[in-house]
Amino acid sequence: MGPARSSGVGSGNSGAYATEIAESLRFEEEIHSIVHPGLDSPPAAGGSFTALLGLPANQAVELLHETGPSEAPGSAAAPSPTGELWRLRLGEHAAGPLHLPLGCSPTFPSNVALVERAARFSVFAAEDSPALSSGGGPSPRLKAEPPDSDSPPTLLIPAEKTQRLAKRKECEKSKAKGPAKKSKSAEENTAAAAKETAAENTDGEKLPYVHVRARRGQATDSHSLAERARREKINARMKLLQELVPGCSKITGTALVLDEIINHVQSLQRQVEFLSMRLAAVNPRIDFGGLDSFLSAECGPLATANGRGGVALDPALWSSHPVTANGARWLPQPQIRHVDVWPTQQSSTAWTRDGAAHPHALLNPGAALFGYDPASSVSLNSNQLKTEL
Amino acid sequence: MISASSSSASSSRKKKMKQAESKWRTAAQERIYRRRLLEALRATASGAGPRAVKEAADSALALTARGQSQWSRAILLGRCRPRRKLLLKAGGKVRRGRRRPRPAAPVPVAAAAPAPAGKKVRDRLRVLGRLVPGCRQLSAPNLLEEAADYVAALEMQVKAMRALADALSAASLNAAAAGEAESNVV
Repeated sequence: MGPARSSGVGSGNSGAYATEIAESLRFEEEIHSIVHPGLDSPPAAGGSFTALLGLPANQAVELLHETGPSEAPGSAAAPSPTGELWRLRLGEHAAGPLHLPLGCSPTFPSNVALVERAARFSVFAAEDSPALSSGGGPSPRLKAEPPDSDSPPTLLIPAEKTQRLAKRKECEKSKAKGPAKKSKSAEENTAAAAKETAAENTDGEKLPYVHVRARRGQATDSHSLAERARREKINARMKLLQELVPGCSKITGTALVLDEIINHVQSLQRQVEFLSMRLAAVNPRIDFGGLDSFLSAECGPLATANGRGGVALDPALWSSHPVTANGARWLPQPQIRHVDVWPTQQSSTAWTRDGAAHPHALLNPGAALFGYDPASSVSLNSNQLKTEL
Repeated sequence: MISASSSSASSSRKKKMKQAESKWRTAAQERIYRRRLLEALRATASGAGPRAVKEAADSALALTARGQSQWSRAILLGRCRPRRKLLLKAGGKVRRGRRRPRPAAPVPVAAAAPAPAGKKVRDRLRVLGRLVPGCRQLSAPNLLEEAADYVAALEMQVKAMRALADALSAASLNAAAAGEAESNVV
C-alpha cells in the first residue's frame, strides 16, 4: 500500500476510528486532539514542495527528527498537526516510494514520507530565502556555526554525509564563494551523484544542497559514506540511551551497553507490574477525594530510586522486608513506611516503641511527600492492625 | 525550530536527546500522566485484577505520549481489538509490531548497520525490539530512539504509580484509622 493511499485513508478514517478509540478507551478529548489534524499549516508549500523533493534523504531525515520531538511539547506551537504526523509516521514504513526523481539511495526507505515532511518545512525555506538573499542572513545561524563555515572554506568536499540542516546549507550556498565551490564540488563529488543532481535541481529555487565532508584518511565511495552515516546515527542514539540508563556511561562495547539497557527496561517493566498489583489491591478501597496532594506533588527524591537502587529497594519493601529488616514483630508492610516517615511519633504501645527505635532504613520518600498529615498515635496503632498489601 | 537548532550533528542529536528525556521528566508531563492514570484507574472495574490496572496504566502512558512514538501507537492501537481492520488500513506498518502475527519474526530490518553488526549486538537488538512494544521490525537507529523514549516514559510511569500507590494506601489507612479510632475509644 502506497504511502499516499495510506495517508489518504488515514485522513479519511481518522475521524471515524478516533472516535472509536476514544469510546473504548474513554479518553475522548485526548484522542481527538491527537488524531484530528488541524490542517492550517504549510499553506504555500506547493511550489517549493516539488523542489524539496530533491532534498536528499538524509537531510529530510534530519528535518523529520528535528521537528518530530519538537512537536511534542505543544502542538499549538508547531505548525504541523500531530494528526498529520501520525499519518505520515504510520505511512512511513510503506514499501516503495511514490516517486523518487533522483533515485535516492535505497538505504532510506522512508524517503517519500520524510520528503513530505521536509516539504512542510519548506515554509521555513521559502521564508528564509528572501532574508538570506538580502545578504544579512540569519545572523544567529551564521554565528552559530563559525567553525563550519570558516573551517575549510575552500574545501567543501561533499564526500561524506553529515547530518546538517537545510538552513545551514542555505547559508553556505548564499555566500559569495558558493558558486565557485559548487562547480568544484560537482567535479569532486563523484560519489554522491544523487546529491549533485539535487544541488542542481534546487539551485534555482535557492534551496539547500548537502555538503558532506570526508575526514582525513577515510574512503569516499558512496557505500562507505552511507555506511558511515548510518553508523554515526546509530552511535549517536546509543550514546543517548547510555546517558538515559544509569551506569551505562562507564561501559564500553555495544553489546554490554545493550545488555544493561535491556536489564533496565526489564526491571522497569517489572516494577510497573508490582505497582499495578499494589494498585489493584488498593483499588476497592479507593477514596479519590484525598488525592489532591498526589496530583500536585512532585516526586523529586523518587527519581533517585529508579535504576538499580530502586530495584533493590522495591523487592525489599514488598516481599521480604517484614522479616529481614525489622525482625519478627513487623507483619504488615505499610506500618514500616509510615512509622519511618514519622519517627517522632512515640506511642505507649509496644508496637510503636519498636517502630520508633528502628532505624529508618526503609524510609519511603514517596509517602513523605504526600501531605499526609502525621497521624496520631491512635491511628498508628490502627495502622499496625491493618493488613495492607 | 529548525533555524534555532545547533550547528553540529552531535549537538543537534543532543538537542533531540534532551528533548527525549526532558520531555518525560518535566513536571507538567508527570502531572498530565497522573491525571490520566487516575482517570484510567477509575474507569477500570474494581476487582478487575492487576493486569487490568497495568493495561490501564500503559494506555494512559501511551496517551500521554500523544502518539508520537512507535511504541505508544502500538499500545494505543493494540488495545482496540475490533477496530483492527480499520486501523490496519490507516495505520500502515504499525501493525507489524504486534506480538500476535508471525511468531517467527525475522531479524529486525536493520538496514545494513555494519558497526553494530556483531552477532551479539544483533541478538541484543532483537531482544530490545521485543521488549519495546511495537518495535520488533524496526531498524537499529529507530529502535534505539524508541527505546530511549520508552525508557524515559517507563521511569516516569514507575514514579507516578509508586506515588499513587503510596498516596492511596495512605489515604485508605487514614480512612480506616478514623473508623478504628471510634472503636478504640470504647
